[in-house]
Amino acid sequence: MDTIMQYAWLIPLFPLLAFVLIVSFGRQLKETAAYLGIVAAAISFVLSVFTFWARFQEGAIDYKLPVEWLQIGQSVVEMGFEINQLNAMMLVIVTLVSLLVQIYSRGYMHGDERYPVFYQYLSLFTFSMLGLVISPNLLQVYIFWELVGVCSFLLVGFYYFKPEAKAAAKKAFIVTRIGDVGLFIGIILLFWWTGSFDYSVIFNAIAADRLEPWMTTLAAVLIFVGAVGKSGQFPLHTWLPDAMEGPTPVSALIHAATMVAAGVYLVAATYPLFLASPTALNVVAYVGAFTAIFAASIGLTQRDIKRVLAYSTVSQLGYMMMALGVAGAAGYVAGTFHLMTHAFFKALLFLAAGSVIHAIHTQDIFEMGGLRKKMPLTAGVFLIGCLAIAGIPPFSGFFSKEAILGAAYSAHRMDLLWVGLIAAFFTAFYMFRLYFLTFAGERRGGSAEAHESPAVMTVPLLILAVLAVVAGFVNTPFAPVLHQWLASGSVGAYIAEASGGETAHAALWVQVVAVLVSLLGIGLAYLMYVKRSVAPDLLVRPVPWLYQLSYRKYYVDEIYHAVFVRPLRWLGLFLNLFDRYIVDGLVALLASATNGIGALHARLQNGQVQTYGFVVLLGLVLLVAGFTVLGGIPNGQ
Amino acid sequence: MDNSMLLSLITFSPLLAILVLAFVPKRYGGIIKQIGILGTLLPLVLSLMLFANFDYQLDEMQFVEHVPWIEVPIGAGAGGELFTFPISYDMGVDGISMPLIVLTAIVGTMAAVASWQIKRRLKEYFLLFHLLLIGMFGVFATQNLLLFFIFFELTLIPAYFLIGIWGFSERERAANKFLIYNGIGSAIMLLAFIAIIWLVPQVNADPTMSMTELRNVLTSPDFQAMMEQMKPGFLFGLFLALFIAFGIKLPIFPFHTWMLKVHVQAPVPVVMIHSGILLKMGAYGLIRLGIGLFPEQAYSFAAWMAVLGVVNILYGAVLAFVQNDLKMVMAYSSISHMGIVLLGFAAMNTIGFQGAIFQTISHGFISALLFLMIGVIWERVETSQIDELGGLAKSMPFASGILLTAAMASLGLPGMSGFISEFLAFLGLFGTMPVIGSIGVLGIILTAVYLLRAVLRTTFGPMPDRFQRLADAQPLEVLPMIVLLGFIILLGIYPAVLSDPLQETLKTIVPIVTGIGG
Repeated sequence: MDTIMQYAWLIPLFPLLAFVLIVSFGRQLKETAAYLGIVAAAISFVLSVFTFWARFQEGAIDYKLPVEWLQIGQSVVEMGFEINQLNAMMLVIVTLVSLLVQIYSRGYMHGDERYPVFYQYLSLFTFSMLGLVISPNLLQVYIFWELVGVCSFLLVGFYYFKPEAKAAAKKAFIVTRIGDVGLFIGIILLFWWTGSFDYSVIFNAIAADRLEPWMTTLAAVLIFVGAVGKSGQFPLHTWLPDAMEGPTPVSALIHAATMVAAGVYLVAATYPLFLASPTALNVVAYVGAFTAIFAASIGLTQRDIKRVLAYSTVSQLGYMMMALGVAGAAGYVAGTFHLMTHAFFKALLFLAAGSVIHAIHTQDIFEMGGLRKKMPLTAGVFLIGCLAIAGIPPFSGFFSKEAILGAAYSAHRMDLLWVGLIAAFFTAFYMFRLYFLTFAGERRGGSAEAHESPAVMTVPLLILAVLAVVAGFVNTPFAPVLHQWLASGSVGAYIAEASGGETAHAALWVQVVAVLVSLLGIGLAYLMYVKRSVAPDLLVRPVPWLYQLSYRKYYVDEIYHAVFVRPLRWLGLFLNLFDRYIVDGLVALLASATNGIGALHARLQNGQVQTYGFVVLLGLVLLVAGFTVLGGIPNGQ
Repeated sequence: MDNSMLLSLITFSPLLAILVLAFVPKRYGGIIKQIGILGTLLPLVLSLMLFANFDYQLDEMQFVEHVPWIEVPIGAGAGGELFTFPISYDMGVDGISMPLIVLTAIVGTMAAVASWQIKRRLKEYFLLFHLLLIGMFGVFATQNLLLFFIFFELTLIPAYFLIGIWGFSERERAANKFLIYNGIGSAIMLLAFIAIIWLVPQVNADPTMSMTELRNVLTSPDFQAMMEQMKPGFLFGLFLALFIAFGIKLPIFPFHTWMLKVHVQAPVPVVMIHSGILLKMGAYGLIRLGIGLFPEQAYSFAAWMAVLGVVNILYGAVLAFVQNDLKMVMAYSSISHMGIVLLGFAAMNTIGFQGAIFQTISHGFISALLFLMIGVIWERVETSQIDELGGLAKSMPFASGILLTAAMASLGLPGMSGFISEFLAFLGLFGTMPVIGSIGVLGIILTAVYLLRAVLRTTFGPMPDRFQRLADAQPLEVLPMIVLLGFIILLGIYPAVLSDPLQETLKTIVPIVTGIGG
C-alpha cells in the first residue's frame, strides 16, 4: 500500500492530460469532451483515495520526491511532490468536488457552444489546484498558485461577451495578484534567509532560530497577504462576490475546493512559520474574525442568490482563518476541518442554487418563492446545506464550527469567540432568509416554469448532501479521529513544540450557546419571511443608512475605485503629457540644436577663402595646444 | 563537421538569400517571398547546430575565429621601429551570446514568415531584411570592438529604410527619429571605444581591439590602481558613456521616446525584429561591454541602475495603462519589461544576471508574438485603436486565445518564460537591495492591470456587427504563433535549456563584478 504514494504525482497529471487532449481535439469532440474531463477527474479521485488511505495507515510517513529543475546561483531549485496528512486530505476533497462539479456541468452546460472550452478550463483548474496541493516547496506552490488564479480568471470570464463577466474576470485576476505580490516577496525573503524554497528546510531554519524574529513575522505576514488575496479576506475580498459572473458550477468549484481553499491551505501548509511568530498569528486571527463578521453582515441584505452564497463563503473563510490564527493543534485542526466540511456543503449549496437558476432563469430571490413544490429534491438538499452551514447538529458544519469556537475558547480568546458567535447568528439568519424566500411560500415573479433538474445534476447534489451530513463525524468531540491524525506527524511536532500538546475541548456551554444562537437566527428568519409576523424592516426602519451600508457592501468597491483606480488613471494621463511634451520635447530641442549647428556650418561654407583659412588656422592652434597639454602624440609608450 | 567557421557562416549566411534575390526580377513577387522566407532557414539551422554543439562545461569563448585582418601604423618608436595597431577578425560566443544568436535566428525566421503580408517593393524589402539579419548576428557573434561597432551600425541602415519605406502613415518621421537617437547613441559608443582602445597601450599592454583581451587588461588590479592615480573617475566616465549608449537602445528612461514611434509606425515584421532583437542589443552591450569591461564601475553604479530599472518598470506600466493604441501599449510595455533587465543587472549577483539574460531572451519571444498578433488583427480590421476593437474572441477565437496567452506570458504567468525571468531578476535584486526590489515588485500588479485592460477590451465584450465575418488565423499566421509560443512555454517549463549554458559564463563575470567569490 505504501507504494501508492510514490505514484501520487499521477493525480494531477490526469486532469492535465484531459486538458491537453481537449485543447487539441475540442472541436471534434464537442460534448464528448465532458467525458474526458470526468474520467480524468474520476481516476484522480480514485488515486487520491488510495493515497489518502496509504497515508492514513498506522505508522505511515510522509513521502517526498524532488527532481532537479533549475540551477540558480549556488543553489538548485527542485520540483517534485510530497504527501503528508494535510495534502492527502486535500487531494481527496479537491478531486471529489471537481469530479462532482464536472458531472453536474454535463447537465448545466448542455447546449453551450463553448462546451469543450469549459471542460478544458475545468481540467486545467483541477490540475493546477492538485499541483499546488502536492508541492513540496514554495516556489512550486507559487507557480501553481498563479495557474489557479488564471484558471479562475478564465472561468469567471467564460461568458466573455458579457461586460459584467469581463469586468469580474479582470477584477478577480488583479485583486488576487495584489495578494500574490505579497506571497512573491515573502518567498524571496525566505529564500535569502534560509537558502531554500523547500518547506522542510524553511521549517528547520525557523526551528533552529536562524531567522530574526522580525523576519519571521514579516515573511509570515507576507505569505498571509497572498492567502488574503486568494481566500477573499478583507480587504481583498471584493473579487469573490463578483466572481459569480462565471457559470454556476464554476462558482461551486471556486468557492468550495479550488481557488479560495488555496489560501487557507497555504497558511496551514506553512503553519510552523506562523507558529514562530505570535504577531503573525494574531494578524491571521483578527483579519479572519473581522472578515467573518463583516461579510456576514453584508450577506444579510443581498438579493441575488449567488451573491448571498458568495458572502457566506467570504465569511466562512474568515472563520477558517480565525481558527488558524488561534495557535495550537486545536486551531490548526479546526481550520482545516472546517475547510473540508465547508467544501462539501458550499459546493452543495452552489450547485443547488445552480439547479434553481437553471430552472427559472433568475437569480433574484425576491422573484422566487414556493419552489419546494416544483423542485422538491433541490429544496431538500439546499435545506441540508443550510442546516450544515448554520451549524445545527448533527450536520457536518456543527462539528467544524464547534471545533473553531472550542479552539478560541480553550485558548482563552473570548473576543474571537464572541465574533464567532455573532457571525454564526448572522449566518443562520441569512441562509434561512435565502432558503425561505426561495423555496417556501408562493412564487412572486419570474416567467419560466419551474421544474426539477435532470438526474445528471441531481445525483451529484445527493452525493454532496450525504457528505454534508456525515462529513462531520470524522472529528466529533467523542472521537476526534481527524484531530489525532492531522496533529501527528511533522506539522504536529512543530505545533506541540510551540504550544504544548493540549487537546482541550470546549466547555459544553459553548456548544449549547452556538446552537441556540443559530436556532435564534433561523427562528427570526422564519418569523420574518414565512410567518411574516415580524416585519423584515423592523431593524432597518429607524436606521435606513445601515441597510444601505450593508446592501452596498460598505462601499468598498467605490472607495477602491476612488482611491486606486482613478488616481492611477490620472497619473497615467499626466505622465502621458509629460512624456510627450517634456521628455520627448527635450530631445526635440537637442535635435533642433544639432540642426542649428548644422546651419552655422552651412553659413561657413560661403566660398570665401579667408574664412576657410581662418578655420584651418584655428584647428591647427587647437591641435598644437592639445598635444602640448597632453605631452606629445600617444604612440603606445 | 568542422565547426571552426560556424559563427562566420551564421553571420553571413543571409548573404545567400541576398545573392539569389539579386537575380530574381522584381515582378516575381511570390518567388521573392519564398526566397525571402526560405533564406532565413539557413541561419536558423546553423544556429541550432551552434546550440547543439555548444559545450556547457567551458567557461571561455567557444567557436573562436581569429584571423589577422588590418595593421594600422600608429607611429614610430625611439629606435625607428614602426608601431602598428593590429585589427583582427575575431568571432566567438559564450553562454550569453549563444542564446541571443539562436533567438535572432528564430525570431528572424518568424518575422520573415510574417512578412508574407508585405505588399510592395518586395525585392528591396527582403534584401534589406537579410542585411539586417547579418548585422544582428554579427553584433552577437563578434569579439572585436571595431567589428562590433560596424555590425551595430549595419543594423541601423536597413532598419531605417525598412521603417521609412514599408511603415504606416507617419513612417518617415519615425525612421528619422530612430536614426537620430541611435546615431547619438552610436557616437557616444564610438567615443568610448576610441578612449578604451587608446587607454590600453598606456599600461604597456599590446594595443588590441579584442574584447577578451581588453577585459583582461581593463579589469586587472594594476590598471585599475594606475587609473585611480592618474585620472580618477575616467573609467567611471567611460562606463557611463557606454551605459548611456546602450541605454538609448534598451531603452532606459528618459531616452525611450524614439522607440514609441518605431513600434507604432514600422511594419509588423520589423517591429517583431525591433522589439524582439534590436532592443536586446542594448542589454547585450550593457553586460558584455558596460559591465564586462568596467565591472568595478558598474558595481558602484548598481544602486542607480536599480533605481532606473524601477523607474522604467513603473513609468512604462503606468503609461501603458492609458494608451489607446495597442501598439503603444506594447511599446510602453517593452520599456517596462526592459526595466527588469536593468534590475537583474543591478542585483550584481549570479541570480540577478541570470534573470536579466532570461528576460532578454524571453521578452524577445514574447514581444515578437504580441506584435505578430497585433499585425494579425490589423490585417483584418485595419485598426489597433482599443476603443474601436472589442469582442474579437467571437469571430477569431484562436487568434484571441493566442493573444491572451501571449499577454499572460508577458505578465509573468508561471509555466511561461516571462515568469522565470521576472522571478530570477527580483530574487537576485532582493539579495542586495530589498527595498528597491519591493517597489519594483509593484510593477507585477501594474503589468496585469494594463495588459488585461488592453487585451480584454480587444477580445472580450460584445462584438460589433462589423466584425461578424472576420476570418480566424490562417495557417501561415498560425505557424509563427505556435513556434514562438512553443519556445515561450519551453523556457517556462524547462528553463535549464537556457540556464545551463549560462552558468559557466556567469562564473567568469560575477566574481570580478562583486570582487568576491560569488
